[in-house]
Amino acid sequence: MKTVLIVDDEPHVARVLKLTLERAGYRVLTAPDGEAGLAAVLAAPPDALVSDIQMPRMDGRALVQAVCRELPQRSFPIFVMTSMTAREERDWVRQLPGVQFLEKPLSPRQLIAELARALAAPAGEPHV
Amino acid sequence: MSDAALHEVAFARYHRWLARAAGTTVPLVVCNAAGELVWCDESEAATALVQAMLDLRHTGFDWAFAGGGFATQPLPVEQTLLYRPIAVADVPAGWLATCVPAFAAGAEPATLDALAECFEDMAASIADECRLKTDLNGMTEELAERYEELHMVYGVDQHVREHGHQEELFGRLLESCAQHLDIDVVAFVRPAKNQCVSAEQLSAPIHNLDLVLVELRGDLFRFVQATRDAVIINAADDPRRAYVLTDMPYKVLACPVRCTDQIDAALVLLNHAHKHDFTNGDRRLAEVLANQLSSLTQTVSLIQQLAGFNQQMAAALVEAVEAKDPYTRGHSERVHHIAMDIGRALNLSDRDLENLFWGSLLHDVGKIGIPDAVLCKPARLTADEYAFIKVHPERSYEILRHIEYLADALPGARHHQEMWDGGGYPHGLKGDHIPLAARIIAVADTYDSITSSRAYRAGRSHEEAMREINRVSGKQLDPSIVALFNYLCEAEPEWLLRFKIRREPALADHG
Repeated sequence: MKTVLIVDDEPHVARVLKLTLERAGYRVLTAPDGEAGLAAVLAAPPDALVSDIQMPRMDGRALVQAVCRELPQRSFPIFVMTSMTAREERDWVRQLPGVQFLEKPLSPRQLIAELARALAAPAGEPHV
Repeated sequence: MSDAALHEVAFARYHRWLARAAGTTVPLVVCNAAGELVWCDESEAATALVQAMLDLRHTGFDWAFAGGGFATQPLPVEQTLLYRPIAVADVPAGWLATCVPAFAAGAEPATLDALAECFEDMAASIADECRLKTDLNGMTEELAERYEELHMVYGVDQHVREHGHQEELFGRLLESCAQHLDIDVVAFVRPAKNQCVSAEQLSAPIHNLDLVLVELRGDLFRFVQATRDAVIINAADDPRRAYVLTDMPYKVLACPVRCTDQIDAALVLLNHAHKHDFTNGDRRLAEVLANQLSSLTQTVSLIQQLAGFNQQMAAALVEAVEAKDPYTRGHSERVHHIAMDIGRALNLSDRDLENLFWGSLLHDVGKIGIPDAVLCKPARLTADEYAFIKVHPERSYEILRHIEYLADALPGARHHQEMWDGGGYPHGLKGDHIPLAARIIAVADTYDSITSSRAYRAGRSHEEAMREINRVSGKQLDPSIVALFNYLCEAEPEWLLRFKIRREPALADHG
């Protein structure tokens, strides 16, 4: 069973994603901020990481950059949830390999479809 | 109710609660309504109890329960099973079970009453927890649906803001819908207007997509139009397949798109048979999109009507001018056409092209104010008569300034008789002070004046016109635009034939 780590400080978003992803057959872990998220990634790399941007303590940008720095050989995809209007966020997201953005208000169906596409790629290859 | 909520309960906490009530550790086993194991603690006693209960099930144990704290059942190993149901809203959702050393009737252990009370409270508390979790999951599902709807509505809004009400808007909307909902084919069909826009996100190829689309705008559309409601066809043996999508094994979700009261379009989602069935959630989302498409369709058709109205009003104005002088028939249209060619070659912005469009078409509207005797005089004009002619650009301006939309198009019309060297009218502007649109119209206007027939002379040839234009380049006309016009004409533009421009016989340069 593939594990997805969801990092979001809004419990209702985390809950919606957890429930829908579990129904789609994933194991789901959640973390309420970037610090806890990073600790979870380093403890056991998930099969996919889904993170919000605006969070207390360590925000999504810092989390994603830390993950890219700490795990240069990372093979799992990262999804960053951005507001549809926050264009400037997309620029830094685009520059990182294997990082995609999802638009908020998030569509759980879209996340499931994107995960299925991303995880269908051969395992072990760096996700670029 | 499903077991899902029961599986989410933290039973270790209840196990500790039970131990406190019993004054000692007792095993705890939780089963679902069918008697299947959901949870047990990690003690050996619990493992033994699970096994004993399993053996009991094989003997046809019926979980008889007559009320009170718990029911009892002797077990073979000198133990007595104590159990009671967990009832959520009076429906058994599962069973709590523990065991104590066997005891004879009348010699019940002292802790039994405390255990009974504890079991009753635990069952009630677990039932409450299950109900809350079920409610919460229901709300979470509802919230997930709302997220989908919001995502879709925001997405439509975003596309409209980015692309306006252009032709490609519908295509892009359908594309993002196909991606977002992971649908093989999404189509918007409007047979009355011969419109069929579709987008694909194919999970497997569809070889006869064209045929499928024909079917969508034919029988399927008529079916949706007749039922006036969303139609979902999932099953391969659905009887409706006798009328729609016969021999096409796709799952279908089709929504009517209402335009005022009429259904003149439909939104259709198609999936390959191997995909999930279309659900009511899909249907609600499709209806949201169909509603948006309906209002967009109406807006687009209003915009088209308005654009048509503008064109027709302009054509009527042009007709009014040209009716005065049969020899100028088609002049405005030709100047407009050539000016737009030049404007496009100059890579003008859309906004500037729009202004050039109206300015060049309406540049001579002011001629409406010139007396027929002057305008149609088949001979040289006197100085006084020429003065009448010279007011026409200013008259164009005076007539058109009442139309707010044309405000930025007016300078082109007003100044098309200015000359590059400052010798023109009405304001004697010079060089770059003459609006660019006016300089473009001047070249096109000069060209057409020479090549078209007038009351007093026949139209002259293209070559003659070009010689004249190049002669006055830098004096009357902007030399850079003349240079561009020379370049354009070298490519033999299609309008040379269409406007029936006379040509000089080519020099026999092949010997």
